[in-house]
Amino acid sequence: MPSVLEWNDVYYTFPGTSMPALRGASLRLEYGQRVVLLGRNGAGKSTLLLHANGILRPSAGTVHIAGTPLDYSQHGLRIARRQVGLVFQNPDDQLFSASVAQDISFGPLNMGLSITATRQRVSQVAVRCGVSDLLDRPTHALSGGQKARVALAGVLAMEPRVILADETIAGLDPWMQQQVFVIFNQLVAEGTTVLLATHALDVARHWADLVVVMESGCVVAADTPAQVFADQTLCELLGPPDPWKETG
Amino acid sequence: MRTIDRYAYSNALRRVDPAQKASLTVLAMLLCFLFDRPAVGLLTLGWMFVLTSVWAQVPPRVFGRTLLAEGLFLILSVIGIAISVSLDHPGVNRAAWHIGGLWVSTDANAISLAFQLFARALGCAAALNFLILTTPLTDLIDLMRRLHVSETLIELMTLIYRTIFVLLDSLQRMAIAQAARLGFSSPGRALRSMALLGSQLFLDAYRRSWRMQMALKSRGLEGALRVLPLEYVYDRRIWWVGTALGVSLVVAGIVSCRQF
Repeated sequence: MPSVLEWNDVYYTFPGTSMPALRGASLRLEYGQRVVLLGRNGAGKSTLLLHANGILRPSAGTVHIAGTPLDYSQHGLRIARRQVGLVFQNPDDQLFSASVAQDISFGPLNMGLSITATRQRVSQVAVRCGVSDLLDRPTHALSGGQKARVALAGVLAMEPRVILADETIAGLDPWMQQQVFVIFNQLVAEGTTVLLATHALDVARHWADLVVVMESGCVVAADTPAQVFADQTLCELLGPPDPWKETG
Repeated sequence: MRTIDRYAYSNALRRVDPAQKASLTVLAMLLCFLFDRPAVGLLTLGWMFVLTSVWAQVPPRVFGRTLLAEGLFLILSVIGIAISVSLDHPGVNRAAWHIGGLWVSTDANAISLAFQLFARALGCAAALNFLILTTPLTDLIDLMRRLHVSETLIELMTLIYRTIFVLLDSLQRMAIAQAARLGFSSPGRALRSMALLGSQLFLDAYRRSWRMQMALKSRGLEGALRVLPLEYVYDRRIWWVGTALGVSLVVAGIVSCRQF
């Protein structure tokens, strides 16, 4: 069975830099998987995610969506971006409209849905993400947690096969994080793959089906939580589970 | 700006079609210009104060403060019309004062003209204040879309309006961080801190624009920012109010014209 998303030996160097951000990164995601992507700052996590929907194009290697190589033509990118949803860390980077309802409607309208269908989709997704009472509110009057849910709603409204959440829960309090995970679990139960890039090792240990570890632009591990956290080398790479304790 | 924005979203006329509210504003402004009489301008001011404070339930002090700022600016503008400054004596028909080698003079016609312009402009400002205090900018942008204003302009307004608040938050955070490290402890340091803040804000805006572009592309942006048209309530009372407003301004205008 084809994977839902696959990176094959991807290389990428940002313009104006000499150090590659990705060095032969390879990863395969299956349908309905809960995936956590770990790695130090600068390991290449965000860069990897930006390749999944064609925002960045690899200098070498390929990206496959549902078994088909990513086509970088306008038509191909349109299809890719319907199938792969990317939620950014900072909701202010994603929320372009001062109207919550209009921001959520952006994706479905770009997919070609009618006004009526889009209104229905916006209502459904707003209920799902718990932002129905925010539809008439201005975006700039929302709290951080509310903005995060609206940003997630804007991506879910496109009904992608894969959700890539780039440190989406960073900065959210435990209650808000729980609300986000409820949504993620519902999506996974429906067959959507959810990948969460995070520094929260506990989430990887207790929530993920697959833990991916990146270091210096490479995927150094992609295995079950039990296997990853049993590997001493990987644990040292990921850092101390209790950073407040003094070492030495 | 934040105060105006807050009341625009929370007033009692929030849900009314912006086309109806804009019609009232345009009607009032047109009549102010058509008759060009102080009575019409001042009556418009009174009408807009009542509509905003009583009907829309925006606190009178908010309307008053907004109008005060505009009024002060207008006063500065009409002073140049009311008063002349010259090197020579202006003549016997003008009241004149000799101040520091210059003659400052005025007469009844100049004062009358200044007041006429002031009242007209203030009336128009009050009409616009009614609109902006009762209508969020998103609704006004939506109205412009319905009126087939250039899509490029609408997209620019959409992005700029949203980004203003994001950058204001950044500015506030940076300024607090600078103040916490004594960045404003002297005039010289304050100047340097503000210069650094300005340059950092520019860089912040530049980086944000790149990230926002990526986020928009990720949701299928292919040129146009397509969004849902907003839904409103159609309020028949606006037409009755508009009729009463129009009739009263026309009567005031005609009576003023006959008197002068």
